[in-house]
Amino acid sequence: MQVLIDNFGLILDGFVKTLWLLLFAGLIALVLGTLLVALRVSPVAVMRAVGTSYINVVRNTPLLLIVYLFGALFPVLGYTASISSYIDYSFITATIALGMYAAAFVCEALRAGINSIPVGQAEAARSLGMTFGQSMSTVILPQAFRAAIPPLASTYIALAKNTSVALAIGVTEAAFAMKKLNNEYATGRSWIFFGFAVGYILIVWAIAAFAHGLERQAGKAR
Amino acid sequence: MRFLRTQALATGAVLALVLSACGDDTAKEDAGPSVEVKDDTQFPEGSTMAKLADAGKVTIGVKVDQPGLGFLEPGAEAPEGFDIEMARIVAGALGIEDDGSIEWKETISDNREPFLEGGKVDLVFASYSITDERRQVVGQAGPYYVTGQQLLVREEDKEKITGPDDLKGVKVCSVEGSTSLATVQDEYGASPSPRGTYSECVEELKQKTVDVVTTDGSILLGYAAEAPDELEVVGKPFSEERYGVGYELGDTELCQFISDTLKASMEDGTWAEAFEATLGKSGVETPEPPALDECL
Amino acid sequence: MSDVQTRDSPDRTDSNLVSLRQVDKWFGDLHVLQDINLDIARGEVVVVIGPSGSGKSTLCRTINRLEPIDKGEITLDGQPLPQEGKELARLRAEVGMVFQSFNLFAHKTVLDNVMLGPTKVRKRGASEVKQQAMQLLERVGVEAQANKYPAQLSGGQQQRVAIARALAMQPKVMLFDEPTSALDPEMIAEVLDVMVGLARDGMTMVVVTHEMGFARTAANRVIFMDEGKIVEEETPEEFFTNPKSDRAKDFLGKILKH
Repeated sequence: MQVLIDNFGLILDGFVKTLWLLLFAGLIALVLGTLLVALRVSPVAVMRAVGTSYINVVRNTPLLLIVYLFGALFPVLGYTASISSYIDYSFITATIALGMYAAAFVCEALRAGINSIPVGQAEAARSLGMTFGQSMSTVILPQAFRAAIPPLASTYIALAKNTSVALAIGVTEAAFAMKKLNNEYATGRSWIFFGFAVGYILIVWAIAAFAHGLERQAGKAR
Repeated sequence: MRFLRTQALATGAVLALVLSACGDDTAKEDAGPSVEVKDDTQFPEGSTMAKLADAGKVTIGVKVDQPGLGFLEPGAEAPEGFDIEMARIVAGALGIEDDGSIEWKETISDNREPFLEGGKVDLVFASYSITDERRQVVGQAGPYYVTGQQLLVREEDKEKITGPDDLKGVKVCSVEGSTSLATVQDEYGASPSPRGTYSECVEELKQKTVDVVTTDGSILLGYAAEAPDELEVVGKPFSEERYGVGYELGDTELCQFISDTLKASMEDGTWAEAFEATLGKSGVETPEPPALDECL
Repeated sequence: MSDVQTRDSPDRTDSNLVSLRQVDKWFGDLHVLQDINLDIARGEVVVVIGPSGSGKSTLCRTINRLEPIDKGEITLDGQPLPQEGKELARLRAEVGMVFQSFNLFAHKTVLDNVMLGPTKVRKRGASEVKQQAMQLLERVGVEAQANKYPAQLSGGQQQRVAIARALAMQPKVMLFDEPTSALDPEMIAEVLDVMVGLARDGMTMVVVTHEMGFARTAANRVIFMDEGKIVEEETPEEFFTNPKSDRAKDFLGKILKH
């Protein structure tokens, strides 16, 4: 227990970085996932094929491999930029990799949401003279987001836990802090694992609570 | 600096010789000095030594990613390095030969204590620094080697970064959860950049995504020797790492036996032979053997 | 509605609003529309009846290209229907559609449902659109429900909102695809009343329905379809009192028996 108290600052720093990863990667995933799902349900066959290919490639590749790939690819392409010593090259690379990975799952969660919207909603939108883009943005996606809240919450919970993979390319997030403490405190390992488990549980709980709130909000509107 | 540079060149030459010798079947015999295997062992009844000697088998936890200490070549059957040689000496004293009777088990920094506590390994020779904290959960006999943390930088940075005091805010790579990384982070304000292995760190150093690689000097010299025009080891060692032999907590008899065996090897020259055949190849002079701790 | 016309004398020769020429459509092997030729004049009310599977709903949905056709040509106010895209969207805005299952936007209030088309598609100002939307809701008798969500309304109310939503676009023609089939019997009349009112005001309408009473009172023409073909085309009086084909006689016999 003492090890957790003595190193609270270190643990907190680790989880703060984990949360930043989650936030930035989560935003990338949401934007990219939404664009992907528009491709996936597009009336144009080529666009559908592009969307489907992305999902198939990314979803069937282990996350660690994607993170390593980006970590190896960017320097070769000459890209090793940092925004600051905190938002450094490793952090940016890991965020992009995590975001692109999670986008595939966000896309599929949204697609499940879209599929749960009766086809009549789209027909009504089109019959009012809306273009594909208008009908997606004003009629289909807002409803699909609601229907997709539970699977999206699962995706984001998985993303929160997956941020620990960023350690592989040098991001000093929570898992890094855990490894550091593990090496220094041979006697306190059970407490260290317990403490970090609690940290992740709190994050997951916050995501679940947020999703629950959104669902209730959406429920009121029906 | 000049001294280290010369060393690095010498290491390169030695490595080239070693590599050229590696193609044929005799290479394995060249890898290490012959270890005396006793066939008339006498141990107190019920002791761990007696149990291991009777079984004729011992399981030893080692690292497989540290050149010169414990390193498994891709495709090779057994690991090589100074840790491995010391382990073979101790096993030999138990009457166990490295002919398949020693089971080499990979341990990483995270699982050395759990493996010893759970009896998954009998001994640990895995660049296992002796600390008071660790001695509360496992036994650590030795030290059989004392080394120190140093810095590996790119050639063009060798004037800029000359020691740990230049590390403030600098991206320093080492293996995640290692003591070396914690030291530069906690004591010198470096910005830690953890990776899974030292080779990854060296790769990142060359790609300029990190600026320094740090760990025990002996390992760094090996990497500097592979790229003498690009990389350079700088500064004096700024920490003391005392490598010990891990065993199950409280087995004082076993500790005494390991200490006696280590001491004998240091006195009769097998320790020095082991060093020359492994870490010594990177050009480091063979040091004086360290003084051993008392078994308590 | 801007252009109020007298519905007693629709001009069928000069100003055909909707025109289908030799239209064919297949669903796989099923030939659902076979050589359909149909002209609908400005201000005309055409009721399409027929047994289920006769292709009447499909016919209705081809007029705003919710169902694309395989052969032939459909023109709307002289313009042929383009491929899916912006041009088609512009044409669809001129055609109001009312569905069997209402299809109100579930995440929008009643008022927002009616306002969405004019604001998003026509890009008109919200305050002006709101005023017009409230007038339309009043006209169909659901102004009190303006701020409720569709799920809080009865089926009859929802369908009346759907009609108001379509009218908000000030369409040239209104398509009704079995607008009362999903309604409980006591709610059918309130929807039909609105539709009869529309017909009186001179709206051009294509109505797919089983409501023979509506056909008798409001239609200029009845089209009887069976197996993908137009079998008869008559005034309501003529069709109901003196059907010519056996299939029409058979169909009428079945539905008018009770």
